Amino acid sequence: MNTQTTPALGKTILVIEDDAALLAAISGKLERSGFSVITARSVENAFTVEFTQSNPNHLTATTIEAALSHLKALEQINAIWLDHNLIGEEDGLDFIVKFKANGGTWSTIPIFVISNSANPELIKTYSELDVHHYYLKAEHRLEDIIAEITTVLTGGEVTDPV
Amino acid sequence: MLTPDNTNHKTPEERDLTHAAILNVLEDYQENAASSNRQSRAILNILEDLETSNRVLESKTAQMAEAAEALLQKNAIDTAILESIGDGIIVTDSLGRITFVNRAFVQMTGWNAAEVAGGDIQGVLPIENANGVREDFLPDVIEAVLSGTHYTSDTSKPYFYVRKDGTKFPASSIITPVRLHGQVVGLVTSFRNITREMDIDKAKTEFVSLASHQLRSPLSAINWYTEMLLAGDVGPITEGQEKYLCEVYKGNQRMITLVNALLNVTRMSLGTFILEPEPIEIIPLLQNVVAEQQPDIEKKNLHVRTRVNLPISTIESDTKLLRMVLQNLVSNAIKYTPPGGNIDLALELDPSNQYLRFTVTDTGCGIPLKQHPHIFTRLFRADNVRTQDIEGTGLGLYIVKAIIENSGGRVWFESEENIGSIFHVELPLSSTVIT
Repeated sequence: MNTQTTPALGKTILVIEDDAALLAAISGKLERSGFSVITARSVENAFTVEFTQSNPNHLTATTIEAALSHLKALEQINAIWLDHNLIGEEDGLDFIVKFKANGGTWSTIPIFVISNSANPELIKTYSELDVHHYYLKAEHRLEDIIAEITTVLTGGEVTDPV
Repeated sequence: MLTPDNTNHKTPEERDLTHAAILNVLEDYQENAASSNRQSRAILNILEDLETSNRVLESKTAQMAEAAEALLQKNAIDTAILESIGDGIIVTDSLGRITFVNRAFVQMTGWNAAEVAGGDIQGVLPIENANGVREDFLPDVIEAVLSGTHYTSDTSKPYFYVRKDGTKFPASSIITPVRLHGQVVGLVTSFRNITREMDIDKAKTEFVSLASHQLRSPLSAINWYTEMLLAGDVGPITEGQEKYLCEVYKGNQRMITLVNALLNVTRMSLGTFILEPEPIEIIPLLQNVVAEQQPDIEKKNLHVRTRVNLPISTIESDTKLLRMVLQNLVSNAIKYTPPGGNIDLALELDPSNQYLRFTVTDTGCGIPLKQHPHIFTRLFRADNVRTQDIEGTGLGLYIVKAIIENSGGRVWFESEENIGSIFHVELPLSSTVIT
C-alpha cells in the first residue's frame, strides 16, 4: 500500500518539534514523501551545529554553539516546519525572530507552524510574522500538511487558510 | 321693689300692668336661671371632657415617648447592622450623592465616612473594566434602578473599584432602589471584593486549559501514527487490522473534539476569546457547514432543507465563532433526529431588520420538559439522550449560548419530547465586540 510519490525530492526541510515521538513521525513521513530532513528540538538546537547524517535524507543537530559557523548548512533548506512549544525557554516565535534577523534569502524561506496551541492571539502574532501557514496539530493529517507544503514548494498556492 | 303702700295709690289697671311686668321679669329671671344652669352644666361637661382628653393625651404622650425610645433603639440596631454587614454598603440619594457608608466600605476603599458624606458616588468610587478603562455605565444603572428595577453585576465580566489610594479590586455588586411610600428616593449598593473567587476560578480554568493543551500532544501522536499505519507506511496491514485501526482513529478524533470543546469553554471563562468581526457570506457558510455533515445526513437518510429569505448576503461577525454556532446546532439536529427524519434550516431577518435569524427545526427526540431550564448548562445532557447512548460532550449548547450572548444576540428553543426541537438564534447584523 506504500504508493507514495516523491514530488518534493531534493527539497530540504528543517523540522523543529520538541516531542520526540511527533518528531519521529513527522520526519519519517517527510522522508517517505521525498524530503531531506533536518531536525531540531529547541531553538538553540536549530541554529547550532555539527550536523550528523544518519541517513542520506536526514540530518540531526547534535551539538550546541557555533550557530553562525553552520549557517551554510541551514542555507540549503527550502522550508521550515515549526512547533510553537519547544524545549528550553525559547519558543517558535523566538526562532522566527532570530531566523529573520539574518535577513537575505532566509526571510523568503516559507515557515509552516504546526502547533497545538489554538490561542487566537498567538496565531495572529505568527501571521504578523509572515508565516506561511498555521496548522492546529491535532486537527490535521500529516499527509495533508505535507501535501500543502509540497504544493507551496513546487510553486502552487494553498487556498485553505490556517 | 314694689311696696303695698305704693300699690295702694295705683289704679287697678295700673296694678294689673305692674303685676304683668313683675310676672314678665320673674319669667325672664326664671328663664335666665334655667339657661345659666344649662350653661353651667355644659361647661361642666366640657371640663369633664377636657379632663378625659387630657388623661388620654397624657397616656398617648407616654406611649409615644416609649415608641420613640423603641424607634431610636431599633434605629441604632439597624445602623449597627448596616455598619457591621460584611459587604460594603453605600446608600445614595436620588442624585447619586452618598448619604451612608458602612465599616466594610471604609475598610475596602480606604475612605472614611466623613470624607465621602454628600460626595458623588462615581467620584468617590470610580469603576474600571479589566483593561483599566474607566466605565461609565453607572449613570445608566442609577437611572434604571431609580425607575424601580435592580441591578446585579455580572461576575463573569467583573469590574474593578478604584480605592482612595488608586489601587483596585474586582467587585461584584447589587444595586437596589430605596422605596419610601412607593417612591424611589435613593439607592443602596452592596458590593464584595471577589479577588479570591476570581483567582480560584482562574486557576481552575487555567488548569483545564493547560491539561487540555497537554492532551493534544499525545492525541496528535496517536493520530499521526495511526494515519501512517493505515496508509501502509510501515508495511501492509490486514483487513482486520485496518478495521481496528479505524476505530482507534475515530476514538481519537472524538477525544480531540472533546478537548477542543473544553478548551473553547475555558477560553470563554478566561475571556481570551477574541472576536474578529468581518463581513461573512452567511449562505455559503451555512452550506459549507451542512456539506461537512453530509456523510452523517446520508447515513441516517435525513431530509435536510434550507430555506433562505434574506435581503442581505453578509453579516458582520467572527467567522470561526459563527461557524461554531452553526456547526453545533446543525450537528445536534442531525445527531438527535432518528433516521428518515426532517431537518429544516432557515435564514431570515427579524421584523426589525436588525438581526439575522437562524432557525433549526428537527423531528428529533426533543428535550424533556423538566430539563428545559438546564439545556444550556455546561456539561448538561438530557436524560433521554444519555439513556439512548447518543454521543455528546454536553458543551455544545453552552458554547453556542456563550458565543451568541457575547456577540449581542440571543438563543432560545421550543421542544417536545419525541416530537422535535426548534432552536432559534438571533445575531445582530453588525456584531458587537466580544469580551
